Amino acid sequence: MGYINTIIILGGISVVAALGVAILTGYTGLFTFGHSGFMALGAYMAAFSYMQWHIPFGIALLLGGIFAGACSLIIGYPTFRSNLTGDYFAIATYGFAEAIRLILNNLYGVTGGAYGFTGIPSLTNLPITLVVVAIALFGAHRFVTSQYGKNCVAVSQDAVAAQMMGVNILKTKLISLFISAFYAGVAGALFGFYMAYLSPSMFTLSRSSDLLAAVVFGGMQSLIGPVLAAFILVAVPELLRFFTEWRLIVYGALFVITMIFRPQGLLGYTEMNFAFLRNWYQKLLKKTGPEALAGTPREG
Amino acid sequence: MTLFLQQVVSGISIGAVYSLLAVGYALVYSVYNFTNWAFDAFMVTGAFAGFFAISVFHLPFWAAVAFSIGMTVALSVLIETGAYRPLRMRNAPRLFMMISAMGANIAIINTINLVFGGAFREFPEITAGTFTVGGVSIGKMDLIAGIFSFVVLGLLWFFLQRTKAGLGIRASSLDMVTAGIMGINNNTVAFMIFGITGILSAVSGIFYGVKYAVFPALGVVTTKAMIASIIGGLGSLPGAVVGSLLLGILETLISGYVSSVYRDLFSFTVLIIILLFLPNGLMGARNEEKL
Amino acid sequence: MTDPILALKDVTVLFGGVRAVSNVNLSLQKGELIGLIGPNGAGKTTIFNLITGSVRPASGEILYKGGPIAGKSPDRLCHLGISRTFQNIRLFPQMSVFENIALGLHSQPGYSVLEAFVRTPRASRAEKAVKNRVDELLAVVSLQPYIHQRAGNLPYGLQRRLELARAMATSPDLLLLDEPAAGMNEDECAELVEMVNRIHMEMRYSIILIEHHMNVVMELCRNSRIYVLNLGEVLACGLPGEIQNDPRVLAAYLGVRKSRNAVQ
Repeated sequence: MGYINTIIILGGISVVAALGVAILTGYTGLFTFGHSGFMALGAYMAAFSYMQWHIPFGIALLLGGIFAGACSLIIGYPTFRSNLTGDYFAIATYGFAEAIRLILNNLYGVTGGAYGFTGIPSLTNLPITLVVVAIALFGAHRFVTSQYGKNCVAVSQDAVAAQMMGVNILKTKLISLFISAFYAGVAGALFGFYMAYLSPSMFTLSRSSDLLAAVVFGGMQSLIGPVLAAFILVAVPELLRFFTEWRLIVYGALFVITMIFRPQGLLGYTEMNFAFLRNWYQKLLKKTGPEALAGTPREG
Repeated sequence: MTLFLQQVVSGISIGAVYSLLAVGYALVYSVYNFTNWAFDAFMVTGAFAGFFAISVFHLPFWAAVAFSIGMTVALSVLIETGAYRPLRMRNAPRLFMMISAMGANIAIINTINLVFGGAFREFPEITAGTFTVGGVSIGKMDLIAGIFSFVVLGLLWFFLQRTKAGLGIRASSLDMVTAGIMGINNNTVAFMIFGITGILSAVSGIFYGVKYAVFPALGVVTTKAMIASIIGGLGSLPGAVVGSLLLGILETLISGYVSSVYRDLFSFTVLIIILLFLPNGLMGARNEEKL
Repeated sequence: MTDPILALKDVTVLFGGVRAVSNVNLSLQKGELIGLIGPNGAGKTTIFNLITGSVRPASGEILYKGGPIAGKSPDRLCHLGISRTFQNIRLFPQMSVFENIALGLHSQPGYSVLEAFVRTPRASRAEKAVKNRVDELLAVVSLQPYIHQRAGNLPYGLQRRLELARAMATSPDLLLLDEPAAGMNEDECAELVEMVNRIHMEMRYSIILIEHHMNVVMELCRNSRIYVLNLGEVLACGLPGEIQNDPRVLAAYLGVRKSRNAVQ
């Protein structure tokens, strides 16, 4: 059914972008409200390079991601240096996303400015989306379980202590930022090639809100949480049309409530592995057997 | 030359409104080391409240301003009590506080959007005409806005520097815990600070609404003010004013001489340059993560 | 006399107008274990912060292994061999015991970012090496049973041991211990002394110890020097017996409980 198709594709695109935000906010602890800007950059660069330079589709996607990643470093380097507080980065990304949107709005010519970038072929289909989501998920899991990912978590929990143990805070944050912007860029590119049309109004602050919501509700330091949340947050407004208008009001209120009552979100700190099965098994043994196993085993 | 002066005067008038916002933002940051993302929503609330006071309740202008201030202060204190204080009390990480603040912001703005719609509304004309001095003209309303902004800032300065309550706030901005131990009531300080925030948002919301229009997305200018505050030195109130005026003037000059399209990119570029070379801003406020 | 591994020469630290550290001279030979004592606010932790790069000196020189280190970043200094524990424990409470220690081993990852995405044999080997080393360190501090416990859930004494293991994970040459015995009772202190001595002997670290528990300091520094700091200045430096009888030190600090703490 075409409608289900749409939901899965749009959901998949949202999942990829949300994975990026999960890496930056959920694992590295950096608040971002500007990933709509990175999606826009990736989308426009991919579409432009495909249409103007005849770059093959797959490469165009990657190019979009890399372009978004490179731009992210322009924000990241000045705001992460000098150990400034996270507010600088947050304000800079917010301002950047708005600036990008306004520039695209006024950049007539090939990209069409406020009228939009038309004529993009609709190349994104279900198989391609699923493949990209699978690769994105696999890559993200690899990253967060790697030494780089662990360093990100350490920086988010206690940057000073991490630095004393030898972690280069600036480098760690920049790597995390680049990857998250790359993911957002690729997602944006997929989006453009799905809608066959791009307009700056597609990349507003409400899109950044959606991404943040996926991570806040899905859970900090988790991939599976934001993945599920991102998908649900796309599917529900599609299926319940009336909810679309209310959704940001509900999200906003839920942000506050979540932070007060359950800041780790629904599936926070839940790694994507089968450790939870092992937990249950061991707890079962503990209840039924004489062994005294210590605590809650969790493997990185 | 006159054109240049004209731009500068125009820029100062814009900068004056920015500075109300920037000071409001810097005040909260200097005491709580926290970015009040809901500031955006407060400004929009102020603008809408003022608009409805005039166009629906037919209040005279200054009564409308007072009404708007009342509404916005109430909202500001409500958000502080409901969304910020619970987290601050348990030393929640910066990230969580930002999420909560942004949540409040999104909820309020979209509520306004839903209830009132996104259409642009125009304030009925308050006062028209321009003053012209030596070839440089300034709209009467701009002049009023500029003067009023400076008056408000002056009153704020007086309050902070010359009253006991203001001393309490300044002490809190240096060290909240010690201030509390010394007998300063942290709750009172919070009420005062968010009350001031409310006043500043309401006034700037109305003036901005008069100058341009009233609509839910009006509040993104607070981002500009945050950037101005960083440029001046985050956490420093004089820095916020300096940064705002500077940004207002530079933006207007760029608009006039180059192109108005890239105005926002320009302020963003100035931000990046300042962060690269003077991360503590023009007035040198220190802002590293506390060890 | 060979070059000291660490030398502070006439170092002064200013916080605004306050001289937190004032013209301090201190040196440490390779393999030595020295003590640093003094009343609260004397500047002891500031000196640690100086050595680890968190704080810059207003004047004076800091030489580590012969080279100046003032102004280098803390992570750089860690890779040069300086490691520390904290007065108020700074573990990563949400991470497990294993992950806390492992951080010291992979703070500078053993493979590139791209390799992280594609698990090459080299990356796998690096992970395995980390695991082995963590096991070794756990054995040194006797924390093996707690390997997967959340660090925040451990009792205080065990957290201190974990911090020690984590500090050792970075393979330091110079180890700074900031009040490792804080909050411990007599038995725990005795255990700590035994552990630090053992680590000192086996790993041959150069160690500076800040401590308020006099028994701990006097025992560990039995054959070695103790620096006494007061109000940012070095008041005295010498063997435990010497400083215990130094009138200036007594006047400023050791005072009343002499009979209980004196080393015979």
